[in-house]
Amino acid sequence: MIDNNQTFNNEILVKVNNVYKDFGKVKVLKGVSCNIKKGEKVVIIGPSGSGKSTMLRCMNLLETPTYGEIWFEDKLLTPVDPYLHFDIIRQSNTYKQLIVNEKDKNPDLTDEQLDEQVIALIKKDDLLKKREGKEFKLAEKKFYNENYLDVNLTRRKMGMVFQHFNLFNNLNVLDNLTLAPVQLKLKTKEQAEEKAMELLCRIGLEDKAKVYPSTLSGGQKQRIAIIRALAMEPDVMLFDEPTSALDPEMVGEVLALMKELADDGMTMVVVTHEMGFAKEVASRIIFMDEGKIKEENSPQEFFANPKDERLKEFLSKVL
Amino acid sequence: MVIWQMFVDSFITQGGYKEALKGLAVTLVTAISALIIGIILGTTIAFILLSKSNNPLVKTLKIFFKGYVAFFRGTPIAVQLLFIYFVIFPAIGLGLLKAEIVGIIIFGLNSGAYVSEIMRGGILSVDKGQTEAGRALGLSSVQTMLKIIIPQAVKNVIPTIGNEFVSLLKETSVLSFIGVMDLTKAFREIGGGNYEYTIPYLILALAYLILVYIVTNIVKNIERRMRASDRQ
Ligand SMILES: Nc1ncnc2c1ncn2[C@@H]1O[C@H](COP(=O)(O)OP(=O)(O)OP(=O)(O)O)[C@@H](O)[C@H]1O
Ligand SMILES: [Mg+2]
Repeated sequence: MIDNNQTFNNEILVKVNNVYKDFGKVKVLKGVSCNIKKGEKVVIIGPSGSGKSTMLRCMNLLETPTYGEIWFEDKLLTPVDPYLHFDIIRQSNTYKQLIVNEKDKNPDLTDEQLDEQVIALIKKDDLLKKREGKEFKLAEKKFYNENYLDVNLTRRKMGMVFQHFNLFNNLNVLDNLTLAPVQLKLKTKEQAEEKAMELLCRIGLEDKAKVYPSTLSGGQKQRIAIIRALAMEPDVMLFDEPTSALDPEMVGEVLALMKELADDGMTMVVVTHEMGFAKEVASRIIFMDEGKIKEENSPQEFFANPKDERLKEFLSKVL
Repeated sequence: MVIWQMFVDSFITQGGYKEALKGLAVTLVTAISALIIGIILGTTIAFILLSKSNNPLVKTLKIFFKGYVAFFRGTPIAVQLLFIYFVIFPAIGLGLLKAEIVGIIIFGLNSGAYVSEIMRGGILSVDKGQTEAGRALGLSSVQTMLKIIIPQAVKNVIPTIGNEFVSLLKETSVLSFIGVMDLTKAFREIGGGNYEYTIPYLILALAYLILVYIVTNIVKNIERRMRASDRQ
């Protein structure tokens, strides 16, 4: 019997499961799956427009997948995608009818073969789009209720760093760092400020606590954006081209801070064009092209033995 | 100099200045209260209209507020005063409310419609990255709005809100439609005492001009101070 059941290796923090994302008619992600394990540093590279940012933003639901599921630890963040759960498909009327039909056609199939065939048929022709009965809806709902976690709760555990920093312009640096922990009642104001000052000292910007973001350099802004995410004590950090908007002389200080985080054991997913960083820090590199994951490997293998033609072409341009 | 004498008679000797001061107070109180109601109401409406929530209550409110905004922006304030004061309020049992209070309410509702459009623009002018950063930290959409987006939007719209206040100040001159003694009505009475309107109306116009001048300067000051605090 085939079943891609959802038993979770405790180590998986983020699971992207067969995710599709359309923006209107534009199909940006075309079925991507990847697991981010605890402690991993995954670097995502690929040509512009290949869907790297979209995949990263799907992980914390800044974009909602059109199909497919996102899991964080053992919690479901998206609606259920019934095609990923055969137990749910089996409760649909479509399934029950097809089993009868197929049995008539091929009386000598075993139950398991029948099951496999019908599920494949349903998936192929997207038959669940048809109006389904109560039982199916209930099965779907039950699964959802058992596994769903409010996305705001999950996002506390997933730090995100943006290309354009996105520091809060109306707040000074200290308030940028303490707003979320205090608003979400994770810390008192005093605790949050103490933590914030500790983080500022760590990056040597303690004298900037009271200034507004508009007075900072790009490198300073990005390092503060990173510690703003750290102030939430996340389990995983997502970086979307953190150095692409920086002047060249400021790239180093940001990468150094990211390396430090990596050495401390932080789980990281990094979209970047910095191949040096990928080589040095990544435990795994993913190559995306045209909305799909085309290759995935350890950095040594990835750079020494690229297999995908598009990846070879891409590497020849960037290295 | 006869008309000057006539004005002095009705303004000073017959105590017309008291009416004028009361009228000035009514005009200012109405405009200020309406602006405060308008800002609170308008911000709330803008927030709801911009919400992407699928909650049925939110969806219903959206339809309601769209109609609301269309009504208050699409009809003259004088018509709104007449219609609400003489038709709607009596029908819902509020017919005995003092005209001054009704005036404040109607101007507040009217201003809410305009401010909602202003705030909508202001909110949309805040970089999308600000919302994303807030949400990515786990803040709810309401928290993100209140703590990050609205403070920045407010700063963006202060000049426009200033203009809205100037319009309110001037538009309150139709309060007499529902019998409220505002600045305009007071000067009509002063002139009406002896049928000599030249000087009363000249002074009335000057009074509005000065009010508007003062308000404009206050707004400019606030703007300048906000811009300075950005650069500290
Ligand atoms: N909100 C959106 N609405 C419409 N189209 C979008 C949206 N976001 C992304 N796209 C489109 O999706 C495609 C993939 O975008 P994405 O940002 O994921 O690519 P990327 O791999 O991160 O590229 P880059 O290296 O340029 O950042 C692009 O063609 C882009 O125009
Ligand atoms: Mg991108």
